[in-house]
Amino acid sequence: MTPPGKRYRIGPGQLAAFASALIADGYVVIAESPDGKGFTALKDGSAVAPDTERPPTALSMKDIVFPRAEPVFLYRKTLDDVQVIDPPSPPRGVVTFGVRPCDAASIQTLSKVFDWDYHDELFDTRAERTIVIGTLCRFTDDRCFCTSVGLSPSSTKGSDLFLLPLDDGGWILQIVTDKGSRFVARCLSAFSETDETGEDLVKRYPGPAVRFDPDRIRSWIPANFDHPLWPSLAETCLGCGQCAFACPVCHCFDLIDEADSFQHGRRMKIWDACQFPLFTKHASGHNPRDTQVKRYRQRVSHKFFIYPERFGEILCTGCGRCSRGCGVGIDIAEIVEQIEKTAVAESVARER
Amino acid sequence: MPEVAAIAKDLLERGVVKAVIGYAAAGPNRTRPFIARTAEQANALVFNRHALNNLAVFLTRRRKPVAGPVAVVAKGCDVRALIMLMQEQQVRREDVHIIGVTCGGVASSMGTPWSVETAAPKCAHCRFHTPHLYDSLAEGTEEVGPLPDRSGERIKELEALPPDERFAFWAEQFSRCIRCYACREVCPICSCEQCVADKNQPQWIDRSPTSRGNFAWNLVRAFHLAGRCIGCNECERACPADIPLSLLNRKLAMTALEEFHYIAGTDPAAPTLVGTYDKTDRQDYIA
Repeated sequence: MTPPGKRYRIGPGQLAAFASALIADGYVVIAESPDGKGFTALKDGSAVAPDTERPPTALSMKDIVFPRAEPVFLYRKTLDDVQVIDPPSPPRGVVTFGVRPCDAASIQTLSKVFDWDYHDELFDTRAERTIVIGTLCRFTDDRCFCTSVGLSPSSTKGSDLFLLPLDDGGWILQIVTDKGSRFVARCLSAFSETDETGEDLVKRYPGPAVRFDPDRIRSWIPANFDHPLWPSLAETCLGCGQCAFACPVCHCFDLIDEADSFQHGRRMKIWDACQFPLFTKHASGHNPRDTQVKRYRQRVSHKFFIYPERFGEILCTGCGRCSRGCGVGIDIAEIVEQIEKTAVAESVARER
Repeated sequence: MPEVAAIAKDLLERGVVKAVIGYAAAGPNRTRPFIARTAEQANALVFNRHALNNLAVFLTRRRKPVAGPVAVVAKGCDVRALIMLMQEQQVRREDVHIIGVTCGGVASSMGTPWSVETAAPKCAHCRFHTPHLYDSLAEGTEEVGPLPDRSGERIKELEALPPDERFAFWAEQFSRCIRCYACREVCPICSCEQCVADKNQPQWIDRSPTSRGNFAWNLVRAFHLAGRCIGCNECERACPADIPLSLLNRKLAMTALEEFHYIAGTDPAAPTLVGTYDKTDRQDYIA
């Protein structure tokens, strides 16, 4: 087996041939959809090469491992019996091409919670059956902040294989994980091994300037639950939940029953979002997060304090999707910057 | 004509309102909703071709950010939403000071530079460049020549399709719906305290994005907006899946006009279309 770390040269056009061969072998090959809205399964390999100068897709790739809705089980009822039936098995051999570092990182981050005290079989099976081929990202706009949350345009976190786009239209393919190595072994004969590290490319795309230090706000949040800053941060938030649905790492879900008839139905796992008023509404009618201000505080706290405390990772990849899609122009990086500014000002005042 | 900021400043200084809901600049070709509570904050208020949001949404009961009288900056289309809310007893005329702005059209999306080509489709058939109800009128943007009516053409194309092809078109569009309900949340007219889609006893609409659930959700929402939608198209702008909701809503508005001579949100004292029964109403469509 080729050890992780080795690099191969892929000529222009070879990537498409590689993807076509995979499709012919029965793999599900997924890439950014032509309209840039999300990811889609390809019918042939010709459109597999990622355009890494485009903005990230509006919706992330998380639905490959954590679908918008999936059955947990099916049921069949008679008057005196209930039969529970396993859901259909997720597809085998899914290969996702051209995933930006801010998207690829999500699977590792999500596995922390999906494999915490309970092992979520649905997530695990999908993650196990998915090969992530990451790519260097050549896009930056004022919403991007991957470099503020420990990533960069060339981070290989979450990728099994990683592509560096060369100026001649070819690629350097880097083997990142053992899983990636096993997967790619069968086709390496078509590519030539290379010593090129692509270091100049990586240097050419440093990504956005660092905007904040997440450690500084992590300690501020728990000590300032009732701080007057919170109500001013996102008071125009309409609670639409677009941010959570577009986010690569937001992972809240609900379990609901959907019946086709008295006899048949299924229990579904569907996306949910902490910005919805119903999210924390109790059966009694009481809602501990009864205002949008409290709900927005939860969003920021979960991403930059609760998840890092519990799992050692920030629940944000800096992709900027939430900010690009926000109907009222809320920019999460700007909000974190404001918190950091307040935290710094307060600590300076204390020291005086 | 005075500018928005000057009017807002005066209202706040004189204590006429507690807050002014308006737009603040937010980077190149962008604005965002901003709530000014002091005369100093009012300096940040702007109006330009990128003032896309329909701020009437902040006036509904569950959203109003400040108790007491507020002022809101409103384009002609936004004023129609305010009037619709008044028609439906959601907003009282005396509780809101309308700062109307003249508007010659806005860009189709945030961050897009303004030109005749990038104008929002709704602006092509707008008849309310100067709002027809306001307490103060502010300097906005000038009308340009006729804009291409792209959504009108699209509706004509869809109407010309045989029913099964039209059905296939909408099935394809709705298949992308992820049921985030962003369309509902940005809609000033979706003012229900509890939406039918959130009821689970009984569950009227499947919550997972099956084709059944997606059809049910999108069609129920369209029906509920018939004769009520004022065509601000915020739902379409908010949709992360790019579903052309404005085509449905405009088609229903066209039907309201053709069949009932009714334009939503033009007269605060007018009864609502679907809330009123009249013996002269057409009956021939009932089979």
